[in-house]
Amino acid sequence: MIRFIVADLRKYWLGSTVVVLIVALAVALGVAVTLQERALRLGSARAADKFDLVIGAAGSENQLVLSSVFLQASPLPLMDGHVLAKLAADPRVAWAAPIGFGDSFTGYPIVGTTTALVHNLADGLAEGQVFAREGEAVIGSGVALKLGDVIKPMHGSAEEGGHTHTELAYHVAGRLRPTGTAWDRAILVPIEAVWDIHGMSDHEEAEAEPDHDHEAAADEHEHHADADAAITETWDADVPGLPAILVKPKTIADAYKLRQEYRAGATQAVFPAEILTRLYATLGDAKRVLFAVAIGSQVLVAASLLLVTVMHVAQRRRQIGALRAFGAPRGALLAIVWLELFVLVAIGIATGFGVGYAAAMVISQAVVDGSGVAMPVGFAREDIGFAVTLLGFSALIASVPAILAYRQSPASALRG
Amino acid sequence: MLSLELADISVTFPGLAAPVLAIERLSIPAGGRVAITGASGSGKSTFVNIVTGLERTHRGRIDWSGTDLNRLAESGRDRWRAAHVGLVMQDFHLFAGLSALENTLLPARLARAASAEIVERAHYLLQRTGVQRPEQRIETMSRGEMQRVAVARALLRKPGVVIADEPTASLDIESGEAVGSLLLELADQEQTTLVVVSHDKRLTDRLRRKITFDLGRIVGDTGLMEQAA
Repeated sequence: MIRFIVADLRKYWLGSTVVVLIVALAVALGVAVTLQERALRLGSARAADKFDLVIGAAGSENQLVLSSVFLQASPLPLMDGHVLAKLAADPRVAWAAPIGFGDSFTGYPIVGTTTALVHNLADGLAEGQVFAREGEAVIGSGVALKLGDVIKPMHGSAEEGGHTHTELAYHVAGRLRPTGTAWDRAILVPIEAVWDIHGMSDHEEAEAEPDHDHEAAADEHEHHADADAAITETWDADVPGLPAILVKPKTIADAYKLRQEYRAGATQAVFPAEILTRLYATLGDAKRVLFAVAIGSQVLVAASLLLVTVMHVAQRRRQIGALRAFGAPRGALLAIVWLELFVLVAIGIATGFGVGYAAAMVISQAVVDGSGVAMPVGFAREDIGFAVTLLGFSALIASVPAILAYRQSPASALRG
Repeated sequence: MLSLELADISVTFPGLAAPVLAIERLSIPAGGRVAITGASGSGKSTFVNIVTGLERTHRGRIDWSGTDLNRLAESGRDRWRAAHVGLVMQDFHLFAGLSALENTLLPARLARAASAEIVERAHYLLQRTGVQRPEQRIETMSRGEMQRVAVARALLRKPGVVIADEPTASLDIESGEAVGSLLLELADQEQTTLVVVSHDKRLTDRLRRKITFDLGRIVGDTGLMEQAA
């Protein structure tokens, strides 16, 4: 029987190949959508993993999370610098690190922060050492620079027509291990250096939005910045305004208490994971739409398959009739027609899973290259259910022509 | 060897006033050598379908050595036909992509009846019918060779009756002669009843009894004359 099916498929190899391809493409679409959605969810959740609590000035929660976790540049309102001093002294806080954005270098965002974050962001350094002076920088694993390279910070980004700072150039002192987050593409520098460059330190009064006024100011006078100045990381009440502080609370209870405390008034405190969950809910709707499209395409494919196979059986009435006339039992013919179609569809489904997986990998790689956020593509238990459903459905589809073949009268088939 | 008793057979098709086949009585003894002739549309094909159980009548009796096909359900008739009838058809109905041997064995394999003994018999029958290379793909064979493979297939399961429907009609004269001889020789050797439907006079003249059909009725039967004489 197997030999007969193989010979038959070889005879109709072109049609068989087309059937396999159509099924594979339809399945690949559904698989890619599922895998990519999952990769996005896992990848961004993992990216937010390091950041238990983010505190910023009152404003958009989404923007605060996107800027701090995913380093998506957007002008954040600044909060009073003394918040940092208060947090640093708080016994419920394991560590608190300010972050300041705004500059970039050849497309990589430069983030001003403290050694606390550098120590806690990744599992240590891959090479070199943590910055100790204002003129030193630590780069993420995905930054295409070498130790000792010179970084000339550019205000804003080249695309926005930013200008290059002349006050200070950083030297790469160390490189972090990979984290699979957007921070792999970041250049970490001492926040004091950022303040110096932008004329915010040395008790120069931080204006309401110094970042915005800065461009004009920079053209007028050079700010003082000393590359060799040792960083101190002692916070007094005169710390300039800050866009965000990453906080690692000691316990979960502390996290909730801290959030409660800094939620009110001029500051806001968010759990990035919570904000992301809310964003996924929105994404979830998009996924449902995409998935509906994928299902729709599969239904179309199933319908066209039915058409093809019913025609196929009609063309082979004589062959099927003859086999019965020569004594092949009806059950065997049912099995042949069913198996032949089911094998084709099953190959198509398997290929579709492979193609869908490959497509999701390609998309994920593109995301990693663009944002640094690792998007882990992988099958999960629920995919087995999807595969089984597809197989069950194709088994059902395949039985239609099989039953047609089973029911036709051999005598009339031979006549026709 | 099987004998056939037909009684009260009447096959009508909707829309046709006259029955396409009407036989009051017909008896073919075991080991008979019968030719069925007649113009096209005379009911020969319907006769083949009825006596092989491919089609059923709703009245009358089709009794093969005690088995009345009209009393069997469709799958029962399929099983009976597989075990007792060797069919040879004008269009061979061999399957491209399979070898001569695989074609010979296909119906038996699908019916899960291909024992080692049957496989050995397939080899023997192909040799006996003069098929030189049993492993040769069927589509590369000549029409004469194809029909010889079909004869081997028909005899594989030692049928009690061989029914050949225009076995020579799609062959040249020489191949037709050879296949005709083969059918007669093997029917003797394998001891089966032989029914050949044909309008090839060279073939029908070689059979002992000739039944002629016209418009669904028997209009001539040399066997009856013999019995009468």
